[in-house]
Amino acid sequence: MQLERHDTDILILGSGGAGLFAALHAQRMAPEGTKVTLAVKGLIGKSGCTRMVQGGYNVALGKGDSVERHFMDTINGGKWLPNQDMAWKLCKLAVERIQELENEVGCFFDRNPDGTVHQKAFAGQTFDRTVHKGDLTGIEIISRLMEQVLKRPVEKLQEHRAIGLIPTRDGSALSGVLFIDMRSGGFRFVRAKAVLMATGGGPTMYKYHTPSGDKTMDGLAMALRAGLPLRDMEMVQFHPTGLLAGEGTRMTGTVLEEGLRGAGGHLLNGAGNRFMFDYADKGERATRDVVSRGIYDEMRKSNASPNGGVYISMAHLGPDFVAEKFNGMVKRCADCGFDLAGGRVEVVPTAHYFMGGVVVDADTRTAMEGLYVAGEDAGGAHGSNRLGGNGVANSTVYGGVAGDVMARDVAQVNGLREPNKDVLDGEIARAMHPLSRKPGPIQNLRTQLQDAMWDEVGVMRTAHGLKRGLDRIALVEDELMETGLASGNLAFNLTWHDWLNMRSLVDISQVITHAAIARKNSRGAHYREDFPDSGAMEDSAYTVAQMGKTGLEVSQLPVEFSIVRPGETLLGDDEPETLVEAAE
Amino acid sequence: MKHVAPGGSAQFENTLKVSVWRSDTDGYQTFLVPQQDSQTVLDIVTWIQQNDDPTLSYRFACRVGMCGSCAMMVNGEPRWTCRTHVSKVTQNGGLEIAPLRNLPVIKDLVVDMDPFFDKWVAAEGVFEPSLTRNDPIEVADPTTVQRQQADAAIECINCAVCYAACDSVAADPDYLGPAALNRAWSLVNDVRDAGGGPRLDAISGAGGCQNCHSMGSCAQYCPNDLNPTASIAGLKWETAKSWMKQGWLKW
Repeated sequence: MQLERHDTDILILGSGGAGLFAALHAQRMAPEGTKVTLAVKGLIGKSGCTRMVQGGYNVALGKGDSVERHFMDTINGGKWLPNQDMAWKLCKLAVERIQELENEVGCFFDRNPDGTVHQKAFAGQTFDRTVHKGDLTGIEIISRLMEQVLKRPVEKLQEHRAIGLIPTRDGSALSGVLFIDMRSGGFRFVRAKAVLMATGGGPTMYKYHTPSGDKTMDGLAMALRAGLPLRDMEMVQFHPTGLLAGEGTRMTGTVLEEGLRGAGGHLLNGAGNRFMFDYADKGERATRDVVSRGIYDEMRKSNASPNGGVYISMAHLGPDFVAEKFNGMVKRCADCGFDLAGGRVEVVPTAHYFMGGVVVDADTRTAMEGLYVAGEDAGGAHGSNRLGGNGVANSTVYGGVAGDVMARDVAQVNGLREPNKDVLDGEIARAMHPLSRKPGPIQNLRTQLQDAMWDEVGVMRTAHGLKRGLDRIALVEDELMETGLASGNLAFNLTWHDWLNMRSLVDISQVITHAAIARKNSRGAHYREDFPDSGAMEDSAYTVAQMGKTGLEVSQLPVEFSIVRPGETLLGDDEPETLVEAAE
Repeated sequence: MKHVAPGGSAQFENTLKVSVWRSDTDGYQTFLVPQQDSQTVLDIVTWIQQNDDPTLSYRFACRVGMCGSCAMMVNGEPRWTCRTHVSKVTQNGGLEIAPLRNLPVIKDLVVDMDPFFDKWVAAEGVFEPSLTRNDPIEVADPTTVQRQQADAAIECINCAVCYAACDSVAADPDYLGPAALNRAWSLVNDVRDAGGGPRLDAISGAGGCQNCHSMGSCAQYCPNDLNPTASIAGLKWETAKSWMKQGWLKW
C-alpha cells in the first residue's frame, strides 16, 4: 500500500465551529509564512454538527445578565462535575466570540424591535441569553465562518479521514496524523508542529441518534489508542424527541426541536394518553433528561406507538399557529411524509451530544505535546450535562483559543518531528484489516451495536445491563474483525469507511460502558436505576478512562472546585436566583 | 424493550426500479429496491450500497436538509435527496438518480463542489468587516428595507441545487451562478459590510450578473424557497446605478 507524505505547520482536523475558528485564529496569529492546513472527513463547512444547531448561542450580553450567572447555570446544569476553569473561560470568552461572529465574521443574528440582539429562553438557565438566527443558527454561523476560511490561504484536505495520531519514536510528542484520502483510497501521512483535533464526538453508536452521519467517534478512538486520558465518558445526552420513522430510513433519530414541548406540545403514549405528569410536575416541560426517562419508561411499559416510541401532538395549539411558529420543523416533517402541525408524529429519545472527551486544560493542551483538542472531542466544560446553547459557544470559544495557542506554540518548535514507524505501520495495517477478510454485511453489525447500546447502556442503566452490554459489544467486535469487503476499488469506498466507522464506534462504546459501570450514582445524563441518588455534591468525582498496559483502566478523580464550591454562588446576595419569568 | 417491525411486512411487497448513474461504465445501472412507507431518495441510495452494491459512492452528512451535501439529480431534477420522499418523485414505479449537473463528477453520485465554492469567493460572497471583536454589537433596526432584503437572501445552505438547475451556468462555465450572486446581494444590503467596491466589480464583470437571463430555475428549485433570480435582478440594478454614477462623474 502506497503512503504519500505531506508536511504543514498547523494541522486542524474538522470543520465545525471549533475547526473553522481555529483555522481563522491560527492564520491570523501565527508568524508569517506559517502553513495552516484544514483536514475534514467530508466537505469544509458541511460536515459535523455545529451546522445543525437549531437553538442558538448562550452568552451573557443582556442587561442584568453576567458571566458569573452564565457560569453558575453551567455548573448547576453540569451537576458540579464541570472543570470550572474551562466553564469559566467558556462563559467569559463567549462575549468576545459573539462580537467576533457578528462584527468580523458577519453573522446575521435576530434583533429585538429596538435593534438590540434578541436572546431567547432555553431550558435550565436563569436568564434568557440564547442569541440565534431563527431556528437555523448553526447554518448561519458555519456558512459565514466557511466563507472566511475559504477566502484565506488555508490549505484544504477535504474528504480526508484521520485514522491515526502518530507519535514520535520516544512517544514524547505528536509527529503527525495518518489519513485516508477518501477520494483516491490512498494513505497520506501529514506531519505538523501542532495538531488540533476537533472532529466532534457524536454518540452515533445508539439506535436513535441525532448527529451528522459522518460523525463516528474517530477522534476519541484515535486519542484512546494514543494513550490519552478521556474523562466523563459515561455522559451521553439524550434529546427526548427524535423523529421515529421506522427502520431503514436515515430520518429516524433526527431531532424535533425542544421548542415544541416548550410551546405546549403534548406527548402521548400508544393509547393516546398524556403521561409525562406521571413522571414530573412540569410534565412535557421538564428538562431533557427527565422527559427522556419518562418516555423510555412508558415505552418499557408496552405503552408504545406502532414503531416503538410515543407521539408528539401539537394540533391542539392550532395547526396554523404551529405551522407558522415552527415553520422549519413542520416543513421538514411534511417533506418526509408526516403532519406535525395537524397530526401526531412518532418520537423517541435520541442520543444527541457527548459530554465526555479528551482531558485538556483551558488552553486546549493535552497530555501529548503537539496535540490540542477542542469542541465536542474535549471533555470537561459541561460536566454531566450540557445546557442547550452551550454547545456552539463551547466549540467556537475553544476553537479560537486553540488557534491562538497553536500559533504561539509553533513559533517555539524547531522543526517537524519524525514519526514512530512502527505505530504508523500498525495504523495502516489496522485500516487495511477488512480488505483481507471475506466480504459481509457491515450494516447488520452496526444495527447490532446500536441495539446493544440502546438496550443496555442507554437512557437508564443497571450494573447487570451494563455487563450484558459489554458482552454484546464484544460479540459485535469479534464478528466485525471477521467481516471484510472487496478491495478492488478503494476510491470513495463508503463500505470501507462503514467498517472503519464501526471500528471507532465499538472502541468508544466499550469505554462508555466501562465508565458507566464505574459511576455508581446518577448525575445529569447518567442514570443508574440501581443507584438513583446523585451522591453528595462536595464529594463529586469524574471518571477518567485510559488505555493501560493491560487494557482499559477507569479511575475516579475528585472535582477541583477551583472557583466555587457546592452550596456557594458567585452571584451577589441581592441578585435573584432566576431572572426568567416562570412559564405559565 | 418492545420491538415492532416498522409498518408490518406488507411494505416489502412493492419494489422500485432505480436507475443509478455509475462512473465506471459511464451509464446507468438498474437496481430493484424494496419500498417502505418512510423512505427518502437518500434511503434508496443507502439501501443499494448497504444491501446490493457496496461499491456505490454518494455523499451525505446531516440527513435533515441543513448541510447541503446530498443533492443529486432525481428524474432529471436537482433535489436534496435527504428531504425528498420517494412517493413524491416516483414515476412509473421507478426513479433515475444521477450526480448533480454542472459540476465535475468524482465518482458515481459524488461531485466536486470546489468550483461552486470558488465562485462564491470570486463573487466576493464573503463579509468584509468594519468593526472588531472588541466592539459591542451594534443596534440594527430589523424593519429597514436593507436589513429585510439581506435577511430574505441569507438562509442559503450552499447545496448547489440552484447551480445545477441553471441553464446559464450550463452554457457558460465561467458564470458565477445563482448561489454566489445571491450571497453577494445579501452582502450588498448588509450595512455592516465594508467590501462594496470589489464586490461590485466582481458581480458586474465578465462572469457576473449580466449572464443571468431570468429564466428562474434557481428560484423554482431552491428547497429553501429563496429567490436568487430576484437577488440577481437587484445586482443588475446596483450595477446600472454605479455605471450611471460613473458616467455622470466623467461627464
